[in-house]
Amino acid sequence: MTSPGLHYARYRVGDRDEWVMRIGQGPALLFLPPLFEEMNRTRALLATVMRGLAAKGFACWLPDLPGTGESERALEEIGWSDWREAAGAAFEAAGAVATVSLRGGALLDQVAPARWRFAPAPGASLARDLARAGLMSEGGGGYAPSEKLLADLGAAEPEPGAKVRTVRLATDRAEAELKLEGPPLWRRAEPQNSFELASAMALDIEQWVSECGAC
Amino acid sequence: MTAAFDDEQEVDATLRAVLRDVLGLPEAQVAAMDESTELFGALPEFDSMAVAGLLTELEERLGILIEDHEVDADMLESFGSLLTFARAKALQ
Repeated sequence: MTSPGLHYARYRVGDRDEWVMRIGQGPALLFLPPLFEEMNRTRALLATVMRGLAAKGFACWLPDLPGTGESERALEEIGWSDWREAAGAAFEAAGAVATVSLRGGALLDQVAPARWRFAPAPGASLARDLARAGLMSEGGGGYAPSEKLLADLGAAEPEPGAKVRTVRLATDRAEAELKLEGPPLWRRAEPQNSFELASAMALDIEQWVSECGAC
Repeated sequence: MTAAFDDEQEVDATLRAVLRDVLGLPEAQVAAMDESTELFGALPEFDSMAVAGLLTELEERLGILIEDHEVDADMLESFGSLLTFARAKALQ
């Protein structure tokens, strides 16, 4: 499964260590993944984008947010501020020049002046989706975030900025600087990948980083 | 976002695209669907886990809001019932 250079390291959030998947060397990009189930559904896509950018001379960091992935903390005890803090800590640890976020990850990218976003989603829409998934599936969907986290998520919006580039799928009606053909993998119940979409994303990220002056 | 759909064919095409993209169904299978094609409970890909994603994606692409009380087995039963619902929402 691992390709050359891909490895796992630790980054520190408060008094705890969390995991971060790293690949490549060069200017660092901090990847902020989608939240909850969407994170699992898009992990293969993000890993492919990271490999593509590593081949173009970037260091890519994909942190596990506290309470997710291999984190030792339980999701129930995590608040929105823990995720904000983790994004900031990972950004510092990476010495990143920019963030690359997907979906709900864009709600946490205020840590960087330069932010590339793919299909950013308002927190209210993610909170509604989470509630709906819980209603539909007998098991409750498997995610049990605290009421406080859900309330803060519901109020969160991607923050505007001078160096924000927004890219969306061609099927998305919302505004974007660029639209790419591809499937909304974060909706698929079975995790899948799209190499075409991943390489189009990596190409645009590379061009954007090289053009956006302060990067 | 306002509902800018004034064309029934456009809603039809959007619904087919969502079924293809969210459920991962082959293009030909989706193109061959008609109003009587059974969906929920009949298609293995269309299970309870997939319903939430399908509804949210429909909301985003059609610029509509679907309330929880509007969602039931009848509405999800067939391509025809889902299309009728989507048209009523998007074209109002």
